[in-house]
Amino acid sequence: MTNESQANIEKSIEKIIYQAALALDDHNWDGWFELCDTDFSYSIMSFSPEINKNMTYFSGNKKELKGLMDMLPKHNTDHSPLHRHTSVYTVDVADDGKTADAVSSVTIYQNMLDGINSHIDSGESRLFVIGKYIDKFKITDGTPKFISRETKIDNRRLDKGSHWPL
Amino acid sequence: METNIQTPGKGAYTGSSKNALDASERLNKQIFIEEQKSIFKNIWVPVCHESELPEPYDFRTSSIGNDNVLICRAPDGKINALLNVCPHRAMLIERRPRGSFLEGQASGNPKRITCMFHAWQFDMRGNCVYVAREKEGYQDRFCKDDAGLRRLRCSVNFGGFVWVNMNDQPVATLEEWVGDAFLSLEGHINSTPLEVVHYRKEFIDTGLKARLLKMSDSVGAHSKQSLFNFGHFMTEDSKPGADTNEKKNSFPTPNAMQSIRVNLFPGFSFHLDGPTLNVSTVTPVNGNRLMIEHKSLAPQGERETERNTRSQFYNANFGPFRAMEQHETKAEKQNEEKKQALANHLLHEWSRWMDEHPDGESRLSELATRRSKNAILDKDEDLIGPKVVVIGASHAGIAFADRLRKNGFTGKIAVFDRQVGGPMERPPLSKGFLLGGGETVESKSLLRQKKWYKTNKVRLNTQTSVQAIDTERKTVTVNNGDMVNYDMLVIACGAIPRELPATVGMGNSFTLRQPADANAIRQAANNADSVIIIGGGYIGLEVAASLRKKGIAVTVIEAASRILARVASQPLADHLVQLHRDNGVTVLTDIGVDKINKEDGRFDSVILSNGEKIKADMLITGIGVFPDSKLASDAGIETQRADGGAILVDDMMRTSDGDVYAIGDVAIRRDQALAVESVHNAQETASIAAAAITKTDAPTIQTPWFWSDQYDTKLQSVGIVPVQDEEVYQVVRPSKRDHGISFWSYKGSELVAVEVVNDPATYMEARQCLDTNRSPDPNQISSLSYSPIDSGGGRSQ
Repeated sequence: MTNESQANIEKSIEKIIYQAALALDDHNWDGWFELCDTDFSYSIMSFSPEINKNMTYFSGNKKELKGLMDMLPKHNTDHSPLHRHTSVYTVDVADDGKTADAVSSVTIYQNMLDGINSHIDSGESRLFVIGKYIDKFKITDGTPKFISRETKIDNRRLDKGSHWPL
Repeated sequence: METNIQTPGKGAYTGSSKNALDASERLNKQIFIEEQKSIFKNIWVPVCHESELPEPYDFRTSSIGNDNVLICRAPDGKINALLNVCPHRAMLIERRPRGSFLEGQASGNPKRITCMFHAWQFDMRGNCVYVAREKEGYQDRFCKDDAGLRRLRCSVNFGGFVWVNMNDQPVATLEEWVGDAFLSLEGHINSTPLEVVHYRKEFIDTGLKARLLKMSDSVGAHSKQSLFNFGHFMTEDSKPGADTNEKKNSFPTPNAMQSIRVNLFPGFSFHLDGPTLNVSTVTPVNGNRLMIEHKSLAPQGERETERNTRSQFYNANFGPFRAMEQHETKAEKQNEEKKQALANHLLHEWSRWMDEHPDGESRLSELATRRSKNAILDKDEDLIGPKVVVIGASHAGIAFADRLRKNGFTGKIAVFDRQVGGPMERPPLSKGFLLGGGETVESKSLLRQKKWYKTNKVRLNTQTSVQAIDTERKTVTVNNGDMVNYDMLVIACGAIPRELPATVGMGNSFTLRQPADANAIRQAANNADSVIIIGGGYIGLEVAASLRKKGIAVTVIEAASRILARVASQPLADHLVQLHRDNGVTVLTDIGVDKINKEDGRFDSVILSNGEKIKADMLITGIGVFPDSKLASDAGIETQRADGGAILVDDMMRTSDGDVYAIGDVAIRRDQALAVESVHNAQETASIAAAAITKTDAPTIQTPWFWSDQYDTKLQSVGIVPVQDEEVYQVVRPSKRDHGISFWSYKGSELVAVEVVNDPATYMEARQCLDTNRSPDPNQISSLSYSPIDSGGGRSQ
């Protein structure tokens, strides 16, 4: 793999991470799934200093996620939109150019819509979650697709209505 | 479908205006405060699981109501719960949520709980093992054995959970409190050691009462519902195809299918659902906000595949990112009858704790009854007879306890005092104590040595202030929330120094009453060159003499026309003014203070009524005291005025409540015109009250006496000089001793008081005269050749 092709892959990976953020912000679940491989798996993890344990808050494959998204209209959810601010820190492309790993910082804000008194709460933006995306990619013909995403959050306080992919 | 109501309320929860939930109530801060005080201070709270502190010296922190709690594992493996507050300056000690004391920290030694404020150290049982500068700072007044973190009632039970009750004498033991609520769950969760594998918290914007009401929505139509005492309930759901009698379908197997939910009041849920045990606890944050902590537990040491199975089940059904069905769908399935029964059950219990129950049921009354059976005083098992509680380890309080024992009292005596350390004599505080005589002075100033309390079985509770007296229930409530019952109560709170409004909160401005005041003055005086003392009474003059001895420039300002205008004769006042002036003190009389100036929050200067400005480094106010009678007046005990004043007592020192006595500076007899604050008064009133309680002979009443040291001059007086009586006159009697003199006060030919300077022998003669009703001839008393004892004169009664 030439330096030029590696640089192109790295750019593509940065681009797909930002595309994923936009798709998730827009609740464009189909658009997000298109960026993921059929073997895609997703998890939300956290370490709790309170109990000194790594915890899995959520895990699922593409099929399970799709089922979850299809059920969204029946969920008793908070409708406040989330806004993901992502910075790609590292991209490591394998020597054969077929896989890559990336670590990104993510800060998610919640723009209040629902609330105990939406008359007062709506319109305000609050910091919702901080953490990292730990992504793995499969690269076919120079085009990356997510094969896994671990969203490792620092929050242990998670209130109602936070059950869709971060 | 089954509803098993084991302890139904007497009446349905009617939603009367008093109990109904409305919007304003949810925002009611007062309700939140009451809930903290009445409910959370008294119930058993599952603060953590034993697996969260697996090794010796591991700890976990939590909070119950407003109290910070530290849970730690001792070297012997036992789990203890301690108040996470240093007894020294009430600083929060451990701030981390979890950790280990095994390794040393930057501000603490290994195996010690260390307060970072002044480095006091405690072991895993809360015993104080190190006090910085213990000997130098406290001498014999205090030692580390007197300190220690408050140990809380703690029990590990019901699946390895650590339960803490802030109340040392709760309404029920943990086992009684839980009752049968855990019966269906206990076998499952005790079958294998568990560990916490998931933790998260969420905040919900509602009050506790509203959440209780909401809980009743959670019962499914096919649930078996059981209600238990103390507001607990249990629901059990049958899952299609599940036979919960079969081991393969029961927790802890990963294929478990049962659903049992135990909910302990006011919101501690233990939900065994399928292969997971999910626990949630409620902690009110304010009147309209609750923190809910969620934990999931699984068997320790299980295989990864089994753990993953549980994790997936938990995340799908209880995790923060689970799919949640809309409530409307579920609500349709509710059984209204069961829902109402549960709502009644929960809200009745809430009302019992909040003293708002429609049928008058009250948990706090139960608590008081239980405490009266198990009161603190009952620890002295070998003592029999009535229980006497003394409020205030003052001269009067300690003298009373002493006299009570000497009169043969065999019951229990408990003394409560808010001060740190052993009770001290007050007179030295304005004298040698200020000169910093070190260990000797302070040790000699103790009212009684430690051994005395042990020998006489007097239970002294320092740093313990009494918050309230309930004369109907015959209990006092102390600052840790404990209620202590009494058969007889003795109020010996003493008096509080008057402050000028302008000096409140002002730096380098002091009053003097307690050892802490004297210490503060002593320390400030070390860096001061000048002091202003407002008030020319005995306290002001004694402090003036002490500080002058330290080389400090002293100005005494007295608004009256002379010093000691209320308590001493004119000739003695003149004598003492001259004494002070000879020692370099500026004594200003008949002049007021118009203004007290401060700079950067500290005292700077005074402006006198003649416009003169006097600057000084520190200010001491000694303008008298007022009786500390608020506890009594709040309890409905009669005082001089509706808004306070001294507690009115009869000749036996009994207050308007026959089981409550008042002695010392806080009390005044109904026929007494003038309050007398003195050691003599403390001792005499203590003896009278002790005699009344033990039904022994009343003590012989002595003529009031008083003493004062100023410079190298010793003043002793006997009798009270009626300074307002214009018919009273003084005759000066010289002394055979150097610098000695005495002033004999007469009304007509009757001797009423004698003030003696530097002449103990004359003082004894004067005292003998007054105690035996002799009045030496006023025309001869000025002659040294005349003996007042041999005079034979009589006094009218």
